[in-house]
Amino acid sequence: MRRVAIVGAGMTAFGEHFSLGIKELMPMALSEAIASVDKGFDRRDIQAAWLGEISSTDGFGAGILADSCGLLDIPVSRLENACSTGQDIIRNAIYAVSSGHVDVALALGAEKVRDTSTNATFWDWMGLTRDMAWDYPLGLLAPANFALHVSRYLHEAPATREHMAMIAVKNHHHGVNNPKAQLRFEVTVEQVLAAPIVAEPFGVLDCTPQSDGAAAVILVAEEFVDKYTDRPVWVRGFGLGIDRVMHQHKTDMTTFPCTRKAAKMAYSMAGIEPKDIDVAEVHDCFTGVELISYEDLGFAARFEGHKLVEARDHYVGGRIPINPSGGLKSKGHPPGATGVSQCFEIFQQLRGEAHNQVDGAKIGMAQNIGGPTASCGITILGKERG
Amino acid sequence: MTITVGTYLPPWGTDRSRTLGYDEDALTLAVEAGRRAIGAGSSATRVVFVSRDFPLLEGGNAAVLVAGLGLPNDTEVVERLGGAPETLDALITATAGTLVIGAEAEGAAGAAAALIADENLLSLAGRAQRSFPQRTRLVTGAVYRDENPRMLRELGIQASLKEAALAAKPLLIAGLRAKESAGLVVGKAPDLPTLGAASPLFAIAGLIETGGKGIIGACEQGTFVAANFAGGKAVVNRNEPQAQALPKRKLMPGGEIRIALGAYARAFEAKVRWQAGRCKKCGKLAMPPRFHCLGCGADDSWEYTALPRAGKVYTTTTIQVPVPSLASPYSLAVVELDGTDVRVLVHVTDSVPGSVKIDDVGRFVLRRVAMRTGVPDYGYAFSPVSGNPGGSK
Repeated sequence: MRRVAIVGAGMTAFGEHFSLGIKELMPMALSEAIASVDKGFDRRDIQAAWLGEISSTDGFGAGILADSCGLLDIPVSRLENACSTGQDIIRNAIYAVSSGHVDVALALGAEKVRDTSTNATFWDWMGLTRDMAWDYPLGLLAPANFALHVSRYLHEAPATREHMAMIAVKNHHHGVNNPKAQLRFEVTVEQVLAAPIVAEPFGVLDCTPQSDGAAAVILVAEEFVDKYTDRPVWVRGFGLGIDRVMHQHKTDMTTFPCTRKAAKMAYSMAGIEPKDIDVAEVHDCFTGVELISYEDLGFAARFEGHKLVEARDHYVGGRIPINPSGGLKSKGHPPGATGVSQCFEIFQQLRGEAHNQVDGAKIGMAQNIGGPTASCGITILGKERG
Repeated sequence: MTITVGTYLPPWGTDRSRTLGYDEDALTLAVEAGRRAIGAGSSATRVVFVSRDFPLLEGGNAAVLVAGLGLPNDTEVVERLGGAPETLDALITATAGTLVIGAEAEGAAGAAAALIADENLLSLAGRAQRSFPQRTRLVTGAVYRDENPRMLRELGIQASLKEAALAAKPLLIAGLRAKESAGLVVGKAPDLPTLGAASPLFAIAGLIETGGKGIIGACEQGTFVAANFAGGKAVVNRNEPQAQALPKRKLMPGGEIRIALGAYARAFEAKVRWQAGRCKKCGKLAMPPRFHCLGCGADDSWEYTALPRAGKVYTTTTIQVPVPSLASPYSLAVVELDGTDVRVLVHVTDSVPGSVKIDDVGRFVLRRVAMRTGVPDYGYAFSPVSGNPGGSK
């Protein structure tokens, strides 16, 4: 199999783009990705494209990508894998390139969340990920879905809501420097703890905002990389883990088995260990989820995630900087685009051009978890081919 | 035992007048009372369900009722529209094996049921059916009232009592408040917790407990029925927790929860009868039942088996934000069922949202989990065993 590198990456700002539709956001992200290719890039070089979009709000996704981006003569597929969608389109594009079927592939994630009224689409969104007879009528909304895990985690582990709040403080702090971030302001532990409760133990400031946005990466087979850049970012490993879809069937809710499975695959493929990761973008749709994920990704021992927080190891400059982009918490979360935007951040980190640059970063990770905590996608990228 | 009476009052409202919980209706009240009347070891072959508040006029209440009661699907069910007189009439004509349930969702809420095991202890003492429609309710649900209590007393109850020509004064008249029945009954009548279909059953429960016998009446506007209650072998099984104010909950308009009828129908037996699938090969339980066994991987080899109705909270959360068409706040819990490795995800009921904690114990009760585009969606909810709905231990 051929090695695969990312030669260009771009994203729109995340936020409430009331004046921009999906037909604008997609080509905006692609054009920025193309502009980032050092030696220039002709979009006609793209031989296949994958669209990551969870919910279609304004028409037929694959067709819109082809049409709005001027890619009418190549195959385009839309893929949905809950909030792991972004990593999963990259994984599928890598399959195509590494297998030799195509030399240049596009992975583009996009989502228009804010086009829809909360009232009308609330149940439609839940309908995407909940059992229609058993879970859906209960109102198991996304925060509750994760809160059931975090409540049990707080019951068994020494961690507290303060540790969760410290994660919000850190991600907002990182997000202030990121011009693409939606919530560019600092928060304090006191503010996070005092914020109105959404679903216990999550207050409003423990939760990601709702966002519109798009992000794109261009993946190229090793023998063509030189044509585009002398500073490629190499795919070192990837994994996708799945878990049981009903919470009542998850034996230990203090952990996310899908994350452990995906991490095992990705680390093994890259031939590295958690300590080799220099920088990571970790899915922090809710602060407590980032906390549990420290352990599932191997950055902290079981039930010791809070120690990493207390030591401020998760800040840029710390032992394992997490979410230098601001994470979902500050940067925003348009689900189809989120994972791709994480790889955009890691792409910049490994090329030394990030807004919160981690000095000398050589290996970075991007991770998403989604659905009924049943899907995790991970991509490991490296400065070196490995 | 000749008669077993079961009662149920929601834990909400005041001791004088109970209020329906957000997830209750006349059917869930009926199931609560009916299960206490049936008890262990006995069984009903016929059910008469008396109410003016049937959740459905079309679509059927009977399947949920027999499933909730744990009776066979071919049990005869009579849905009898009416108030106190209709329930007393249903009791008078009940044959052995009949379960009579009266349930009231409007006004003071409550339900009571009596299972007639062999001998009926009630016989007709008098009946008068006269029209005095001071209050009406149309099929659309619209209610009209012409308030004149003293006219009602004279042209309604007193005229009907006279026409019924009872051999003696009744002990009490279900359907009237104690003070309204002053002078019409022997001595001072008890205040019953409801005034409609459940009230004659609450009256009989009281007589059984105090060893009383004699004539009992039931009235509704111009309609009056009286029965001789002979006394005898009878038992009462009450579920009447202390009352407290119903917590305020917000209901955001819009965004109805759509029913998915295929999924509803496939889940019904497990969901409303509280049954897991048990693998015929390895015995592993699965809730909900599933094609591919969780234990041994056998395909399509399972049978229904009753689940325990008690358990302990493994984890919980309370949703505080407004949710379209679901009253918030509400608590969800993953609960471990006693003596099994089965967990379920359910709403927490009968308690203030947010009061249940990990490791709290409780039991499972049939509730209306959601209203889904016109379909009441019934399932089980976790009722913490704290005695007092205000606090967990």
